Amino acid sequence: MSARLLLRLHRIGLIAMTYVGIFYILVNSAAYPLIAGKTRAAQEAFGRSVTVLGAQFDWLLPAPLRPDTAAGYLQWRGYGLLAIVFAAWALMSACGAVRRDEDRGLVETWLSSGISRLRLLVTRSLFFAAVSAEIVALTGVAAWLGCLVAGMPVDVADVVGESIALWGLTLACFGLGLVVSQLAAEFRTAASAGGALLVLMFLLDSIGRSSVHPSAVTEISVFHLFNQSNAVAPGGTFELGATLLLFVVGAVATVVASVAFVRRDIGTGLIRPRHRETREVHDMSSNPLLRIPVVRGLWIRRVGAFAWTAGMAVTAASVVLLVNITATFFASTPTLSPYLRGLPGDVHTVLLALIWLSFAQALVAIYAITCVSRWSNEDSSGVLEMQLAEPYSRWGVLRERAAEATVTLAVMSLVAVAVILALAPDEGIPLDVGKLLGATALLIPFGLTFAAVGAFLAGWRPRVAVVVLSAVTVISYFVFELGPLFKWPAWAEDLSVFQLYGTPLITPVFVGGLIAMLAIVFVGFGSAGIVLARRDVAA
Amino acid sequence: MTSAIVTTGLTKDYGSGHGLFDLDLEIAEGEVFGFLGPNGAGKTTTIRLLMAVVHATAGTATIFGLDCDRDAVAVKREVGYLPGELPEFGGMRGSEVVAYLGGMRGGVDAARVKELAERFELDLERRFREYSRGNKQKLGLVLAFMHRPRLLVLDEPTGGLDPLNQQTFHHLVGEVRASGATVFLSSHVLSEVEETCSRVGIIRDGRLVSDMTMDKVHELRYHEVVIEFEGDVPEAAVRAAAGVEDVKVDGAKLTCTVHGGFNALLAAISGHTVVDLVSREPSLESIFLSYYST
Repeated sequence: MSARLLLRLHRIGLIAMTYVGIFYILVNSAAYPLIAGKTRAAQEAFGRSVTVLGAQFDWLLPAPLRPDTAAGYLQWRGYGLLAIVFAAWALMSACGAVRRDEDRGLVETWLSSGISRLRLLVTRSLFFAAVSAEIVALTGVAAWLGCLVAGMPVDVADVVGESIALWGLTLACFGLGLVVSQLAAEFRTAASAGGALLVLMFLLDSIGRSSVHPSAVTEISVFHLFNQSNAVAPGGTFELGATLLLFVVGAVATVVASVAFVRRDIGTGLIRPRHRETREVHDMSSNPLLRIPVVRGLWIRRVGAFAWTAGMAVTAASVVLLVNITATFFASTPTLSPYLRGLPGDVHTVLLALIWLSFAQALVAIYAITCVSRWSNEDSSGVLEMQLAEPYSRWGVLRERAAEATVTLAVMSLVAVAVILALAPDEGIPLDVGKLLGATALLIPFGLTFAAVGAFLAGWRPRVAVVVLSAVTVISYFVFELGPLFKWPAWAEDLSVFQLYGTPLITPVFVGGLIAMLAIVFVGFGSAGIVLARRDVAA
Repeated sequence: MTSAIVTTGLTKDYGSGHGLFDLDLEIAEGEVFGFLGPNGAGKTTTIRLLMAVVHATAGTATIFGLDCDRDAVAVKREVGYLPGELPEFGGMRGSEVVAYLGGMRGGVDAARVKELAERFELDLERRFREYSRGNKQKLGLVLAFMHRPRLLVLDEPTGGLDPLNQQTFHHLVGEVRASGATVFLSSHVLSEVEETCSRVGIIRDGRLVSDMTMDKVHELRYHEVVIEFEGDVPEAAVRAAAGVEDVKVDGAKLTCTVHGGFNALLAAISGHTVVDLVSREPSLESIFLSYYST
């Protein structure tokens, strides 16, 4: 098993996490003077506000330490949230390394080439350790550089300490993911069980932090062990014992997973559901939904659509519940309070508009990328060929794809707005229902804009479609989010697709943007149809 | 008799000499045509051109008079297709895959699906990911045959099937042929072609090198003969005999190949004492290989 092959298998996680880590840490350190102010007094006031805010968020992150400094703020918001992201990535990588590669037949091929099971699992683990070390190290460099740019340098040793703790957490989660993946036979089951385990550990840490009499049980959480260190914050510490325990968890979990891997059959999990004796069925499904255009796609992908809808709803609920806290934070922060003055309309409504629609736009854009990923995959996997073997034109396939994306976007948006309408009155947030529905409706052409660009790319060059669309989306999003913060020129901000959406909850609908989005949708899907019709399938 | 498939100068040039070049072919309605050739010869490219999955660089292909590319939708109403490899349908049950693709086609007879699944002993309740390679192939055959198409385009149809299911497939081909349907199947398994086809085309390096009926193929057959003599070996007489080729002598043993009848050879060896004579008919596969080697 060559390093090149392993690199290829981990390439998406490697690239994504490197960018996410570096970018997120840089933004939360280098941009500190822009958020907190440049004078010492402003930074102290900002620190006090963050401390108050942090107390309300202690279920999510440990209380901030010296948030009046770039390093303290970075420790709280930067490393605090990055740890969750890295833990989730490690878990998914482990599940993928075990279950996905087994599904693809790669594990069987490797084992038949003479490599032992133990060596295979250890090799995969060591490679992940090397990859994650590289990402964590680059993230550490970004932290050091960011604080330097902010004019508040941080000690290299402190960054190294925090990076080691983050690496330990990542490896521990990878090891736990390996163990869970030995139990279940399917990737989806393993990932769900692993996700549940991580959430449980997170909640244990959260409960232990916020309860008056924490139980010793809460200390078994890997997040608890990680949060013992806060080396980057001034006055913080690097807890060697807790960090070592993280590495021990990772190592022990890998050993347990190796033993389980040696004992079980390939293609199965250690836990096997009892096989139900069922009689053979020779009839085609009588489900009428599978025979209706568009509806059949929605039915086949109902679990994914439900997950997206639930995700949007949960995000909407969280944003509504956070509006009052955020308003208080802004009002009590001298550098941020000016932003509240002169806002059109009620502060809470404006904040809801800004925060919710920002999240909603991001989620809708990501949903569009997942659609494009599937379309590209259908081309290379042969599904499109099978669809075209039926009396169905390429334009027909494209129309059905577009319609399915439209319906899913509509359902996602409508459920989210229903949640907002249900929760906002209790939070005392005044809402203009008409404007909220209008803003929600605009999410559909907004999402379709990305889908149309992606459809064109998938029709033209399916292999690069996701990468190019993701790059366009990420750049657009950060130009949109960071442009006002760094006071970039208006023409630069106008390059962002997100700009076309406007701020429909607080200002009138941006008609020009709507027309531009609709134009992109029609031109995108239209040109997608043309290039798809001309191109060889799976070429 | 009308033509089911007609290709004229059909070309798909992938560059570097790969692809399909100047394919001229006419398959009559009701024929079972076997398309033979080694891996990479151009069989699948031909099928993908007929199915309009890829576009021709030059030339045309028609099915029942309809242009495969321009009238792709109308063509596919008449065609049942089995690709070389079925795509992954993940967690969908076999019954759902059939209903999904059948729903796209419309008008699929549920009784026919049941009949096919029963004949292949395919459990449609299981999820696609649980299917073995053979079961996936069976599902592909159900999808290809389920709407009683006028033309079946099958790429390596018995790959992964056990001998019993291969027999089921051969019977099925016989039945659809009897009902007037046309079958175009690619294969490199000669016994399969021998059993099911009425005509074969042999493709090599993207070019059709032979197109003949099975009767003609059988005419190509020859016998490998080994004769052991007591005393002199009549080598000169045997070499001069009509239809005898590849004569080799090793001591008292003579080997040769005989095309057509044996009379000339028997006349050449008459008067000599024969200790042993063995005549063996090579398989169609050997004929095919010798054809390829020329």
